[in-house]
Amino acid sequence: MQTLITPEKVLEEVRKATVETLRIKEDQIQLANSFVKDLGLESLDFLDINYRLEQAFGIKMARHFFLEHVEEMFGEGTAIDPRGKLTEKALKLLTIRYDPNNLPDLSKGLDMDEVPALITVQSMVDVVMDILETLPEKCPSCGASAWKTEDGTHIICGQCGADGVFTNGDELIKEWLNKVQADTKLFTA
Amino acid sequence: MEGPLEFNNQVALITGSSRGIGSTIVRQFAALGAQVVINYRSSGSSANKAQDLAQEVQAAGGRALVVQADISLREDRTRLMDTVKQTFGRIDHLILNAARAVFKPLDRILEREIHQVVENNFTGQLMTIKEALHLFPEQGGTIVFLSSLGSRLYTPAYPLGLMKAAMEAAVRHYSEVLRSRRINMNAVCGGIVKTDSFKVLRQYWEKIEALPEALCVSPDEIASTVLFLCSPMAAGIRGQTIVVDRGLSNMLYI
Repeated sequence: MQTLITPEKVLEEVRKATVETLRIKEDQIQLANSFVKDLGLESLDFLDINYRLEQAFGIKMARHFFLEHVEEMFGEGTAIDPRGKLTEKALKLLTIRYDPNNLPDLSKGLDMDEVPALITVQSMVDVVMDILETLPEKCPSCGASAWKTEDGTHIICGQCGADGVFTNGDELIKEWLNKVQADTKLFTA
Repeated sequence: MEGPLEFNNQVALITGSSRGIGSTIVRQFAALGAQVVINYRSSGSSANKAQDLAQEVQAAGGRALVVQADISLREDRTRLMDTVKQTFGRIDHLILNAARAVFKPLDRILEREIHQVVENNFTGQLMTIKEALHLFPEQGGTIVFLSSLGSRLYTPAYPLGLMKAAMEAAVRHYSEVLRSRRINMNAVCGGIVKTDSFKVLRQYWEKIEALPEALCVSPDEIASTVLFLCSPMAAGIRGQTIVVDRGLSNMLYI
């Protein structure tokens, strides 16, 4: 488990990226804020924020939302029906992925278009922390266990100077979905 | 100012114009006297940008109308055309700039996503033209479609390029169909432009950052070609796609 970069530091960078993308004031951004509903973010703006976080931490954020991965891994129609509504399986997955207390009333179903609104400042911080967690114990280049950071965002090897390596966001989602499937058999027909 | 590049009292509708190339086309049209219709799809930062752009045009003494509409939806297109009709009564120049697409290679793209790519970038474009026709005056007007090099060159995970190719063919085809209405139709095929959409490209094509600035075309260079095609100076150009890429597509070696 990496302890070089704290959730507080990640939050600081998420705030910075949001401020630069949307040109809003930093004190307008709260942990519980939905990027779409509260801060007015659009799909292109997400790319901007992702890119800034990737540059800041030397990571790769997911290119696709986890429900899209479900469709690719377990077959089209598994998560999203032809009318763009989430399936029962997808709704169940949402309650596994997110704190059910922070989810809207799912009993009436949910449209795929409404899903991006579920992404909050907190969940963005969590996603970055999850990727940072994949830092291996030893540097793949020289084998030393000497990770360090000088600026609080970029992890480098204290021995050979190589950049920290992390699993990319899409791979991490696939690993998570495989684990959910192994545990729950949710996607078994 | 009187001259060939002058659009006084003419109306230009630019789809997808809250940001990027679309907003630059709005600025250039307004600067040359046109009344502009600014269109955007999703509420959020685009809505704010569209309003800011309209204020900028109005502050300079121009007229601007902002209409939210998703051009892939019939009811939105109807509302867009109705609003333009009520406000300006006509369209002299229709600029098809809006685009929307997933970025996925063939082995990962879903059937639903292919349908969306077609609806947003082909069906919606043709229907926008069809539904705007009754707003063109007797003396005709111009239509310009914004294409990209993806129509002819491989770009990773870019199904939008296929639709750009289809639209370039549509421009060639419908420019003849529209001849009797005195409407001229052409396309501008842009190279690499560093607008918001560039951020999408950058996700899949990391080396693009290394492309020399001299080979990146500016939004103003694309927009001025669009305006030229809307002017009487370009009356002899019909059904063509003009590549504006600073020569990028001529090069086998960079």
